[in-house]
Amino acid sequence: MANEELIYRITRAVYGRLGAQADERTVENLVTDIYRAIEPVVDAAGNGGGDAGGRTSGGARRGLTAHGGEAEGSSNRLIVSVFGVDHPGIVAGVAQILAESGCSIADINQTVVQGKFAMVIIADSTNSNAPVGTLKERFRAAGDKLGVRIYAQREDLFNAMHRI
Amino acid sequence: MEYSQAEILQTVRMTEMEHLDVRTVTLGLSLRDCAGDSIERTAERVRAKIERTAERLVSTVDGISDELGISVANKRISITPASHVAGGAQSVADCLTLARAIDEAATRVGVDFLGGYSALVQKGWTNVEDLFLASIPEALATTKRLCSSVNVATTRAGINMDAVARVGRLIKEAAELTRDQGGLACAKFVCFANAVEDNPFMAGAFHGTGEGEAVINVGVSGPGVVNHAVRHAPRDMPLHELAELIKKLSFKLARAGELVGREAARRLGLRFGIIDLSLAPTPLRGDSVAEIIEAFGFERAGAPGTTAALALLTDAVKKGGAMASSAVGGMSGAFIPVSEDAAMIDAARVGALTLEKLEAWTSVCSVGLDMIAVPGATSAETIAAIIADEMAIGVMNTKTTAVRIIPAPGKVVGDMVEFGGLLGTAPVMAVNSFNCADFIRRGGYIPAPVQSLRN
Repeated sequence: MANEELIYRITRAVYGRLGAQADERTVENLVTDIYRAIEPVVDAAGNGGGDAGGRTSGGARRGLTAHGGEAEGSSNRLIVSVFGVDHPGIVAGVAQILAESGCSIADINQTVVQGKFAMVIIADSTNSNAPVGTLKERFRAAGDKLGVRIYAQREDLFNAMHRI
Repeated sequence: MEYSQAEILQTVRMTEMEHLDVRTVTLGLSLRDCAGDSIERTAERVRAKIERTAERLVSTVDGISDELGISVANKRISITPASHVAGGAQSVADCLTLARAIDEAATRVGVDFLGGYSALVQKGWTNVEDLFLASIPEALATTKRLCSSVNVATTRAGINMDAVARVGRLIKEAAELTRDQGGLACAKFVCFANAVEDNPFMAGAFHGTGEGEAVINVGVSGPGVVNHAVRHAPRDMPLHELAELIKKLSFKLARAGELVGREAARRLGLRFGIIDLSLAPTPLRGDSVAEIIEAFGFERAGAPGTTAALALLTDAVKKGGAMASSAVGGMSGAFIPVSEDAAMIDAARVGALTLEKLEAWTSVCSVGLDMIAVPGATSAETIAAIIADEMAIGVMNTKTTAVRIIPAPGKVVGDMVEFGGLLGTAPVMAVNSFNCADFIRRGGYIPAPVQSLRN
């Protein structure tokens, strides 16, 4: 808890200096850098009283980098699900969008039952050059063209709902 | 693959077809450092603080919603009860200055509602609160986003019947001031027993005095998801198995809501407060609490047995949610706002659902008589007496109850009143017409029940 408090205070201070319109990504990177720089000192000082220092800092680190790095936070992974009537070119169409956006495919599962096409792709967007909004817009347009429904949602949602 | 196709399909179906959404992300904001020696100074500080803290709320939450693929219906703000910071007010007009400043700030940051034009008067009111209460009808009639609430009873203090009578008159006045909009101002006002301090839902949200500087509270919702599951369960499935089914779904809904809330808090540099598990319907077909109840095996919501069904539903939702999150708060039950629930409107129109049955329901669910239109001719005393009944249920059962009632000017039983948007369309319902005015005119208070002596 103690470190969440610290991160909160750093974030407020950064926004205080840069103003509320500061770029979210920049602020996040700044807070991460500052926190990492002072983390050893904070841990050594046993900040947090009753809390085990290692545990809280681990939790805080996960929280901090969830947006930009680590596999465990996994927020760089998208679950792309595609449903519709089967015809040639659906996999190629979806894969092409992912490739053009710099997303790699971590896992893919596709079935056709009685002419109904269903595919789920876990895509890693760590090196993606497109924001999620743009990616979703491309999927929407491709879905219209291919006659299928394409949904892209961050993996976190599935993790939260289906894993304890 | 790490997730089975069934799991992925279930989530996609919930978010895309069954209206699973996060009903509200509400920024709870303390204004206690804004009180000044003049109302102008206070209003200016309040305006500045709301605009500064909530500036990125809407864009941040929309961004998260886009990434996760789960829609967030409303972005809102709850503030410290405004009567607590209105210390510099010398007149009703001063209170209105504050109300308008708050409303303007809410408009500027783009939230759809801001709650907390509130007073807690369960034991009595101060001189400033006297002015403040008098300002509520006009404050609601002349603003767009402001919501107001008054707490008139607690299990600890009993029921302040002077306040109940006053709220009855206040509601009538608010209805008259918005006569050409069907009494819309009353839809933004709620009267409470045992009001909670971290409620993210409108119109009753306010940021309690025990709360911190600023928190993100989340109201998750999914009547459509539960409705779909109950409807697709075998017709002869025993009730305890239905309860298990609902519990499991509620767990998943709560986890999704908490994810959104924690992410929003992190990006805004604020604390995460609570998740409110309440099933809250919308006017959309299928996204209805009444339809869930009907799916238990009733021809219409309001039939005998529906109180028992609602009790099961509310309890199962709480149990599932409590397992999913360690930060459950707010109301956390099931809402039954008549005008916002398509199947409830139908049930009321065919006479299956009456005011008395709704009152019985409120003893087993959160939160109370909600969004109920009654004939415009209903007297202030009768409205106060309806409130008194509801407050008694809350006080005696140590739970939150509330009344949001609209005496629609010029309307009679059977008419419909259109409020628009999420507030929906209310059928004007019959009120027991036997006189209760002498009871209300006695005033005084109903002493706290013996269960208040718990120490």
